Amino acid sequence: MNRIFVNVPTRSRTLIGAAVASLLLAACATGPVKPSGADEARAKLTQLQSNPDLATRAPVAMKEAELAVRVAEEPEADPALGQYRVYMADRKVDIATARAKTAFAEDQRAGLSQQRDQARLDARTREADASTSKLATTRVALADATQQSADLQRQSADLQRQLDELNAKPTDRGLVLTLGDVLFATGRSDLKVGATAKLNQLVTFLNNYPTRTVAIEGYTDNVGSDDYNLGLSQRRADSVKSYLTVQGIASTRLSADGRGESSPVAENDSAAGRQQNRRVEVIISSPPSAAR
Amino acid sequence: MNDSPQRRADSRLPIAVAIAAVLSLAACASTPPPPTASLTGARTAIGDAEKAGAGRYAAAELGEARQKLTDANSAVEEKDMPRAQRLAEQSHVEADLASANTAEAKAVAVNAEMVHSNDTLNQEIQREPGSQPGSQP
Repeated sequence: MNRIFVNVPTRSRTLIGAAVASLLLAACATGPVKPSGADEARAKLTQLQSNPDLATRAPVAMKEAELAVRVAEEPEADPALGQYRVYMADRKVDIATARAKTAFAEDQRAGLSQQRDQARLDARTREADASTSKLATTRVALADATQQSADLQRQSADLQRQLDELNAKPTDRGLVLTLGDVLFATGRSDLKVGATAKLNQLVTFLNNYPTRTVAIEGYTDNVGSDDYNLGLSQRRADSVKSYLTVQGIASTRLSADGRGESSPVAENDSAAGRQQNRRVEVIISSPPSAAR
Repeated sequence: MNDSPQRRADSRLPIAVAIAAVLSLAACASTPPPPTASLTGARTAIGDAEKAGAGRYAAAELGEARQKLTDANSAVEEKDMPRAQRLAEQSHVEADLASANTAEAKAVAVNAEMVHSNDTLNQEIQREPGSQPGSQP
């Protein structure tokens, strides 16, 4: 080099010096530089580090990412090596991000499963409440049923008592109430005044048991003609029926028949026997579901 | 300075040149060894990612990891060991990313399922007949 400078004039020497200096500068410009993409990797890492949900959740991966970014940021003359380092840094930041997000999701899970337990608990509580209220309803229903049963028993007892008062006899035709001839004067069919006490009991009974119907049958002794006796017994049965109707019993529930001297209940050859045969029988039907 | 040592040095020079030539020839003949450890590491990382289900959750990353490993093996064939080393490391890190993304996707999916089932449970409670009015929603 010295030999070259010796042989050229001073001006040329200055020119050559400038040229060499500019060459050196150019060499500096194409020398080690920060690889492109390193700043992006740094920005991504900074974003991760400043996210309060994620910053502390994957410390190991985060440290590796930080290290890789720092290496990628170093000025490097070999572009291929620089790009390799940027690639590694970028992926390490992505890995740290994914690990942090995974850890975050896992941490959230505890809260979610607590919520689920709470929801299940609520469901069970509601089920229990529903059962309790169902039980209460059942108890009320049971109490009602018991009450009804008691009512029925009381009604049954009432019926028995009233039947006893009427002196009604159970027969295969139903309950038969026999009204003696004391209701009527001899040969007459209008009811005696004051003879209605027993009929009033019957009215009360029929009012209490509105499904029951009544067949009224008149009978006589064998004194007098058959026709006369038939007519008399019919009129007497009608008389009882009309009395009951006047007391408010629907006539559709009542039937009246004269049976004359048929079906005597005693011998007609004595006064006492004839008196027993002069009678009105009231047959009370059993209700469809007999509550005897 | 004496003449005789100078002459002795001159006579030794050809020997030194010969030794250097032999050494440099030897260096040329032996290629550097392939980055076996890095290649194995990449292969293992890809296997782990596949086992974790990356084929379903991080298919792009898994594909790139496989491609980088193929490229690394090509570089070994071409005796470009530094490049093979870098490609193997890139394949490894990409496979790790595939695994990490898979784990994240699974964790998020589990949470979403839990949120969904909690919502369903809550709706059922709301709908349930005989539920007490005025109690918590």
